[in-house]
Amino acid sequence: MIESFLASWALFHNAYIAGWLIAVLLALLGVVVVTRDQIFLGAAVSQASVLGIAVAVCLGSLPAVADCTWCNDDWTHTLAGGVFAIAGSLLAGTATLRRETHESLTGWVFLTSSCFAVLLLAHSPHGMDEINRLLASTIIGADFDDVVIFGVAVAVVAGVTARLHAPLRLVLMDREMASAVGVPVAAWDRGLAIALGAAIGLAIHVSGVVYSFGCLVMPALVAKNLSREVGQMFWVSPLVALAAAVGGFVIANDYDLPPAQAAVALLCVALLAAWMVRRYRG
Amino acid sequence: MTNGDVLIRARDLALGYGPDPVVRGVHLEIRAGEYWFLVGLNGTGKTTFVRSLFDLVPPAGGTLWIDPERAGRERVGFVPQRCALNPSLPTTVRELVVLGLVGLTLSTAERKDRLATALAEVGLGGREHHDYWSLSGGQRQRVLLARALVRRPNVLVLDEPETGLDPAAEERLLDLLAQINRERGVTLLSVSHDLENVRRYASHVALFRDGTIHAGPVAEVLTHANLERTYGVPFGESSPSGGSAKPFGESSKPFGESSKPFGESSKPFGGSSPGGRS
Repeated sequence: MIESFLASWALFHNAYIAGWLIAVLLALLGVVVVTRDQIFLGAAVSQASVLGIAVAVCLGSLPAVADCTWCNDDWTHTLAGGVFAIAGSLLAGTATLRRETHESLTGWVFLTSSCFAVLLLAHSPHGMDEINRLLASTIIGADFDDVVIFGVAVAVVAGVTARLHAPLRLVLMDREMASAVGVPVAAWDRGLAIALGAAIGLAIHVSGVVYSFGCLVMPALVAKNLSREVGQMFWVSPLVALAAAVGGFVIANDYDLPPAQAAVALLCVALLAAWMVRRYRG
Repeated sequence: MTNGDVLIRARDLALGYGPDPVVRGVHLEIRAGEYWFLVGLNGTGKTTFVRSLFDLVPPAGGTLWIDPERAGRERVGFVPQRCALNPSLPTTVRELVVLGLVGLTLSTAERKDRLATALAEVGLGGREHHDYWSLSGGQRQRVLLARALVRRPNVLVLDEPETGLDPAAEERLLDLLAQINRERGVTLLSVSHDLENVRRYASHVALFRDGTIHAGPVAEVLTHANLERTYGVPFGESSPSGGSAKPFGESSKPFGESSKPFGESSKPFGGSSPGGRS
């Protein structure tokens, strides 16, 4: 199994490394989502990103921009997905409406994005292919640029988390106390929403919805059940994600399976095991 | 103007979140070592006043002066009603208490020392690695108190800290607070609905009523007449004409009679008697 994986390295190493970096990046940010009990936020932001890409594909197909070279560029789609993901994250994660909960806003973002992404491209065969590819998840197309982007993103997020872990934990665990000791809670909320939206927006275009959402919430949920403190979750979660991504890619290569789904399936099994461990420990 | 030992001074202070202040015309001075209770009906501005002390509600009028050296943010501790932590999250006593140090620059040795000292003060020494959720309600509340004490505060602000505790745990907590006030000279400001506790422990009271505050020494403010006007129900020796100015608790009427076994607890924190009066 390992030999066959190593044999595929020359061809797919950029995809593998990008996939692992995405797993680590999203698993770190997933701790924020899980500690706030906003699991569905990840799905909603993923769908918002898909809507952004759909809008970009739709606009790029207009006759008026037929001569525009960058309008249908991959980077344009990625940028549109990122902008919509950040907007969705800010709306679902930080906006407040009288008599509405964040869950209501998250549901609205998810359903609005899901419907309009398909409706916009319903009569565009190429566009629907793109939507289906994003929803199905594949990381095979990742290249060296993606490795660099996600490498930098992991370094930045891990660095900020390590440097500011105490105020971050306080904001996540007890907002009232955080406010009382002078932590700018609203600014933290906005910063975290933007980081989450940007990371998902970048990841969706490379790895699709299932892998992005799976790596966002599953490792952090496993970490929650295995850790004794919230602080430990910040290193247990990326380790779990990395282990599942490496294992999933190796298994997928050997059995000719989609790697993203194989990695997420491993994470689902890991969560089941973590629940049992927690139940056993009491 | 000399400030003396005044830590917090309000002059014609108005506070609120919109165009209509919740409280206005507030005049009070809080001095070092005093034990204040903030009492009144729900929605009369007690929490708003507490939030203003942390600069979370700016004055809508008047002035609020807080001694920057002795009562600035680094020297104020806060104990909420209950921990806002999601109960499904894992945490230990150590993690929660150390989070009280956010915003302070300390060495690792100093942090460890403060953690051990704060836990010892609240009677939880040696339990830093215990699961927070495995503790009783009273112990959890003492962890939150330790999280405030770890900042070595001059002023401790408490938002109904006794809520949800059984009578024994409540008495232990309040005795401990009185001890901290008496022995360390920490100024306490506690929001409470329990007038019997106010009578027993307070040196000063701020009575929130009709959009303003009647504040002063407990004997002057906590009278039957004031309480009747505040709560709209008879308190002890009130007369049909508006009540008595006698201090609350000196009569044998309903609120003066405590059903709790005061003085009969084992008082594991030094066996202190009710105190805190400066």
